[in-house]
Amino acid sequence: MKNYNQTKLVITGIGITSAIGQGKTAFTQALMQGQSSFGIMKRQGRQKNTSFIGAEISELYIPESISKRVLRTATFTEQAAMAALYEAWEEAKLGEVDAERVGLIVGGSNFQQREIMQIYGSYADKASFIRPTYGLSFMDSDVCGLCTEQFGIKGLAYTVGGASASGQLAIIQAVQAVWSGQVDVCIAIGALMDLSYLECHALRALGAMGSDRYADEPSSACRPFDKNHNGFIYGEACGVVVIERADYAKMREVKPYAAISGYGMAMDANRNPNPSYDGEVRAVKKALEQACLTAADIDYINPHGTGSAIGDETELKALKDCGLSHAYINATKSVTGHGLSAAGAVEVIATMLQMKESRLHPTKNLEEPIDSSFNWVKGEAVAHTIKNAISLSMGFGGINTAICLQSY
Amino acid sequence: MDREEVFRVVIRNICEVLPELEGYAFRNDDKLKDLGANSVDRAEIVAMSLESLDLEIPLVELSKVSNIGELAEVLYEKLQSN
Repeated sequence: MKNYNQTKLVITGIGITSAIGQGKTAFTQALMQGQSSFGIMKRQGRQKNTSFIGAEISELYIPESISKRVLRTATFTEQAAMAALYEAWEEAKLGEVDAERVGLIVGGSNFQQREIMQIYGSYADKASFIRPTYGLSFMDSDVCGLCTEQFGIKGLAYTVGGASASGQLAIIQAVQAVWSGQVDVCIAIGALMDLSYLECHALRALGAMGSDRYADEPSSACRPFDKNHNGFIYGEACGVVVIERADYAKMREVKPYAAISGYGMAMDANRNPNPSYDGEVRAVKKALEQACLTAADIDYINPHGTGSAIGDETELKALKDCGLSHAYINATKSVTGHGLSAAGAVEVIATMLQMKESRLHPTKNLEEPIDSSFNWVKGEAVAHTIKNAISLSMGFGGINTAICLQSY
Repeated sequence: MDREEVFRVVIRNICEVLPELEGYAFRNDDKLKDLGANSVDRAEIVAMSLESLDLEIPLVELSKVSNIGELAEVLYEKLQSN
C-alpha cells in the first residue's frame, strides 16, 4: 500500500505528561539524561499487600483554564489528558482553527481501572449513594466529552483501543481523519493507563510485567533488550500530538516537528500476549512502503522494547530481517516505563524531540544487549541528526503498528 | 440533627460541586439552577447530601422540591421519620 495520497501530513503540537516530567522541556531533559523515576508504586489503589515497581507522576500541574469544578469530577486519566492537551493545543495555536474542523482521537480502552476499583471499594455496600457522575466517567469516551467541552472541539471525537498499540492507533486514526478531509486538524491522545493492583497482578501473572527480582533496586528493574530483562515495568504517561496537512500548517504559520511519512498495521490472528515475528515484519514493511522508503533510508529506530524476554528477542529478529540493524536504536521505555495505552504516542513524541535536539537519548540498564550487532545507544546520549525514523508498537491480541517520521 | 444543620450539609455539598460559590451567603429560596448547577450537578448535590446524612430515600420524593430551603426541609423530615 503505497502512499497514493500525496498530501503531506505533519505534527505541529506536542503535549506530554509523564513520571519523568511534565511538558516537553522537562521530559526531554530527563530523557537525555536517562533520568528515570522508578520505585515501589504508592498511588492509592495500586498496591494491596504488594510492592509492584513502576514510575508514577509525582505532581500533575493543571492549567489554570481548567476550573476546580471540572477537576472535581475528572479522573486521573482525564486530568493528565487535559494537561497534555493544553500544551499541544497552545503550541499548535488551535484556538485559531474553526472548531468544527478539529477532531480528537483518544487511544486506549478500559484505562481508568484504578479509579473504578476505588469507587467499587467505596460504594459496594451503599450503591444507592453512588455519585451520578460515575455514570459519565466509567466510560472511556468521557475523556472525549470532557476534552471537547474544555477545548471547544466540534469536529469529531472517539476512542480507539489497541492495548499497548493504542497510542499509535490513535495517531493512525487521526492521520486518516485528516487525509479523508473529515477535519483539517486532528489531535491524537495516548491516554494514561491507570492500573489498579488487580491489573498489576494479572499482568505479572501473564508473565508480561516484570517480577520483583529488582525489588531492592527499582531503578535497575526496567531493562529492555538487556540480558537480565524479565518483563515490562509500568510508567504513568499521557502523550498528545496535533496532526494536520503541511500546507495548512504553513498557512497558519505553525512550525512542524516532523512529517508522518507512512504507517503500517498488521494483525497476528492471535488473541494472546505473545509477539509475532511475522506480524511485526509486515507492519514495518507496510510502513516503509507507504513512506516510499527502503530500510536503508531509516537512520533511527524507536522500538516497542518493553523488556519482555520474548518480546525483545522477537522484535530484534524482525528489525534485523527487515534490514534495519544499521540504524541507531534506543529504548524510550527504559527511562519512562511502559505507559501501555499511552506508549505509542509517548514514543512518537520521544522520537520527534530527539529529532529536534539532534541527539539520541541513552537506554537505561542496557549493560549486555541480547544482540550486540545493533547500533545501540547505551549509557550516554549520542549526537545524531535523524532524517527518517521508524517507531513500533505492539499490543496484546496480535496488534502490530509502525509509524515512519521524517525530519521536516 | 436540627434543620439548620441539614441546611449546612446541603450548602457544604453545593460548595463542593460548585467551588466558585465558596463564601456566598446562601438563602432558603436560592434555586440550584440559578446558582449555576446543571442537571448533573443537581443530581450530584442531592446524592452527596443523602450520603452525608446516610439517608436512603427514593429520589422521586425530592422531585417537588423547588429551592435549597425546601430540599433541606424534606431531608430533615425524612431524617426524623427514619
